[in-house]
Formats: sequence, C-alpha cells, structure tokens
Amino acid sequence: MKAWQGAVAAIVLLLLAGVPWYGSAVLVQFGINALLLAVLAQGWNIIGGFTGYASFGNSVFYGLGSYGVAIAMVQWHLPFAAGLAFGAALAVVFALLLGVPVLRLRGHYFAIATLALAGVMAAIVSNIPLAGQNIGLVLPPLNDDRLFYGLALGLLVISTLVVYWLTRSRFGFGLIAIRENEDGAAVMGVNTTLYKVLAFTLSGVLSALAGGIHAYWITFLDPESAFDISLNIKMIIMAVFGGAGTVLGPIIGALSLSAISELLSSQVTSVATLFFGLVVIAAVVLMPHGLMDLAQRVRTRSLRWNYLGENVRANRL
Amino acid sequence: MKTVLELRRVTRYFAGLVAVDDVSFTLAEGEILGLIGPNGAGKTTLINLISGTLAPSEGAVLFDGHDITALPAYRRARLGIGRTFQIMRPFPGLSVLDNVAIGALFGHGGGQAQLARAREQARASLEFVGLGRFCEQRAEELGGPGRKRLELAKALAMQPRLLLCDEVMAGLNHVEIEAVIDVIRRVRERGVSVLVIEHVIKAIRSLSDRLLVLHHGVKIADGAPQAVLDDPAVVQAYLGRKRA
Repeated sequence: MKAWQGAVAAIVLLLLAGVPWYGSAVLVQFGINALLLAVLAQGWNIIGGFTGYASFGNSVFYGLGSYGVAIAMVQWHLPFAAGLAFGAALAVVFALLLGVPVLRLRGHYFAIATLALAGVMAAIVSNIPLAGQNIGLVLPPLNDDRLFYGLALGLLVISTLVVYWLTRSRFGFGLIAIRENEDGAAVMGVNTTLYKVLAFTLSGVLSALAGGIHAYWITFLDPESAFDISLNIKMIIMAVFGGAGTVLGPIIGALSLSAISELLSSQVTSVATLFFGLVVIAAVVLMPHGLMDLAQRVRTRSLRWNYLGENVRANRL
Repeated sequence: MKTVLELRRVTRYFAGLVAVDDVSFTLAEGEILGLIGPNGAGKTTLINLISGTLAPSEGAVLFDGHDITALPAYRRARLGIGRTFQIMRPFPGLSVLDNVAIGALFGHGGGQAQLARAREQARASLEFVGLGRFCEQRAEELGGPGRKRLELAKALAMQPRLLLCDEVMAGLNHVEIEAVIDVIRRVRERGVSVLVIEHVIKAIRSLSDRLLVLHHGVKIADGAPQAVLDDPAVVQAYLGRKRA
C-alpha cells in the first residue's frame, strides 16, 4: 500500500467514525445498517469473491450469530460479548460440519445446495424451545446507537484487514488459485479441501458477528428474519456491484447501494424495489467486474469508450 | 541409478473402458523418459495417475520407494511431483508472476511461506524458461507458446524432483521446440527426472534417454529411442498394418 492510499484510508475512516457526533440520528441508524451490510458483503467476498464459491449459505451464519447472542443474553443471562463468542462458535461448528460435504460440490451445485440451508435452519430453529420456537426472542433493550455504530464500524475494519491480508498471504493465494482453477491448484500443492473449509469458516464468523450485533441493536428476532435468504442475495449483489475479489469493492458496493436504496424508498416508495432491481441488473450487465474494475481502468488509462458495450458483447447478451 | 518413480501393474477403468491397462515401469533420477502413443492411448491418463488427479483402479504408484497410491494430488505435489497440463490452465486473472508464485508458495516441501520470496523464486523460474519480460502481464494475455512456457515455469517453481510434461511442444514451431527442449535438458541437469508426453517424434527422439510406447492403454515397447521407433509393433500401432 502506498503512503497516499494509507492517508486516504485514514481520512475516510475518521469521517466514518465521526458520523455519530456530527450526523443526525437517522443517519446513524442508516449507517449501522449499511456498515453491517458491508461486513456481510466483505464476509461473502472471502468465500465468493476470493475462493470462487458463490455461497447462499452466509445468511445462515448471520442467523446463527443473531441466535447466539439472543440465546446467551435472554436464556442464560450472559453478557453481550459472551453471546457474540457463542454465535461465532456456532458459525464455526456449522461451517466445519456442513462445509466438508457441501464444498465438494462445484459451481451451480454448490450454490443450490447452500440455497436450501437457510430454509432448513429456519425450520429447525422454529422447533427449538431454547430459541423461542417460531415466536422468537426479545432481547434486553440498549438505546445506544453510538455504541452499535462503533461496533459495526470496528467489525468492518477487522473484516477489511482480513481481506487485505488475503491479498498478500499464502492462504489468500491458495484461495485465488482455487477460484481460478481448482485442479490446477491441487497439483501445485494447495490443500483445496482444507482451504475451502477455512475460507467458508472465516466468512461465516464475520457474518455471525454482524448478525449478533444486529440482533442486539434491533432487540428482537424470529426465525424468518434471522434466516432470510434475501439478505444473502443482498450481500452478493453488493459485493459483485463493488467488485468481488477486491479489498474495497464490497464496502463501496454496500455503502453505495444502501444509499441508493434508501433514497429511492423515501422518494418513490411504490416503485423503489422495482427500480432498485433495474439498477442492479443494469450494473451487472454493463460492468460485471464491478466498480473497482472500472476505477482500475480509469487509473491505468485502459478504459475504452465502449467499455460498457464490450461487456454486453462479452456476456453474449 | 536410483529409482525415483515406479508404477506397478497400474490399471485405470472409466466405466468399463480400460484407459490404462496393467502398465509397469520405472524412472531413474535425472532420467528423461519419453512417453508416446497414438491419440487415445492413455498417455494423459497415466500422467493424471502419477500426479494424483486420478486414482488408479488397480496397482500401485511408488515415489522414492514409498507407496503414494492413496495420497491426494496436493500431497504428491509437496513430495516433489510437478506437472504441466496439455490443456493449458493458467490462473487467468493473475499476473504471469503470481501464477508462478503459487507454485513457489505451495510446491515441494510445502513451499515458501513468504510472498516476497516466493515471487523472487517465481521470477527465477520465468527467467529460466525465457518469460522474464512478461512477469507483470496478465496470464490470459500470453499467446499459445507463452502459455506452454508458463505451464513449465509454474511446475518448475514448485522445485519438483519429478517433472511431468504433457505435450509442452504441441503447436510450437521449430525454434520454439528447440527452446523448450533446451529448458527440459537444463532441468534434468539439476538432477530432476522428467516424463515427457510428445507427438513430435523428432523432438522426443533426440530428447529422451528412453522411450515408452502406449497403445490402447497397454505398454507395447520400452527401451532406447531408436530401437523402440524401429520396433515393428510400434510402427504398426502408428501406421496400421499395411506399411506404405
């Protein structure tokens, strides 16, 4: 990382950290949501962007993290931090148990297998008394948005450092090799099964922590909202929109799309969802490599005037 | 000379079809063994069985006297078995240098943990095969001959003791073939054993210490290059029964 890049990162971080002091209550609430979504997109980036396994199972980790906090605090009267640790532990167990069989599947088959997981988990949790069955759990309220904002931002910083480490470590290169060509990676000495499971676990722990923070902030959760597949779709869209497999792409994608979505739903309430869908489709068709690729091309002056058209042709649309 | 690789009665079926049929042979340290045979003879399958991409249905693969038949591909790579692919498999999104660095990061003995050192090693491999100038390019921007060399550099960065080359000369012109032959010879001078699959008979005759011929998965000849090429059974396998 060059010096000026570090300086820009520090300034942006300071601006973000200062929001609870200079921003309105609404902005802070929007910020907590957007930052947690950015954490989810960054977590998905590890398994989807770097390892090349399009996971639809990350919302399960999010749900496990939420329930970890809720069960620990409501049923066992433990502190919030213990709940976060419990949720993360659940995510690790789940990733190890399910990762091994599910990660044997490649491409679409992996996506479809993970797609089913959220529904299964919602059904299971609905029948566990400890988790409040299908009624859910109500957490003790804590009215401190500054704290939640700080936690969300801190977690995003940690996630981003993890992803940055991937771009410069043996582990990260192993994941990239798996994404680019799994058989090729194996004959070069990459323990593909181990690496995939570790990536899935790492991705899962970050999602679980985000879920835990969100649960305590919202103070209520039920199986349907905790294991919500549309949340998984959101994180994928955000990561891909910004640039999957890059360090900053998922953050930029999450923050910009959250903002667009927020503006649309306050301005044109009735057609906001439709319009949001159109924005996403257009983005994926016109720039499938995300905003980061666009930025990269601007910087290296290799952006050609018909970049968008070339992408349409390259995708045979 | 010390035996590095030994195949003992190795057989591989694909749903009833016998791709490799009861093949046994040895490969000595520092030896170049040419593997030839008509299309569909089972040459690539044999390499897959040695590198661990496929497991044999019957028989055993020994490396350095140890049975490695049950080891997965990545463990064999760490023992020092490097290979190239006939259908070239660069990591397209990465730079040429980082493609090769992955070999150095993992490869023989578990590889080099430091990315910077792995990149140095990768640069040396690329210089060795004559791709030093292309380090910063993206792998997908290389042309056919460049990609063949990239495959070689990736395998070499693993610092293998046994190098398996699957048609690294196909589609190259004479000058390029000479260059690849030179690279393989220099690899052997380091004490590396090499198994080369090749269709270019002229090239493989001058390069190999020994030739092995597969036909319909069966080993039909194994010996000194000229003697093997003069063998009537080999001629028949290539040209059919009626010789012109």
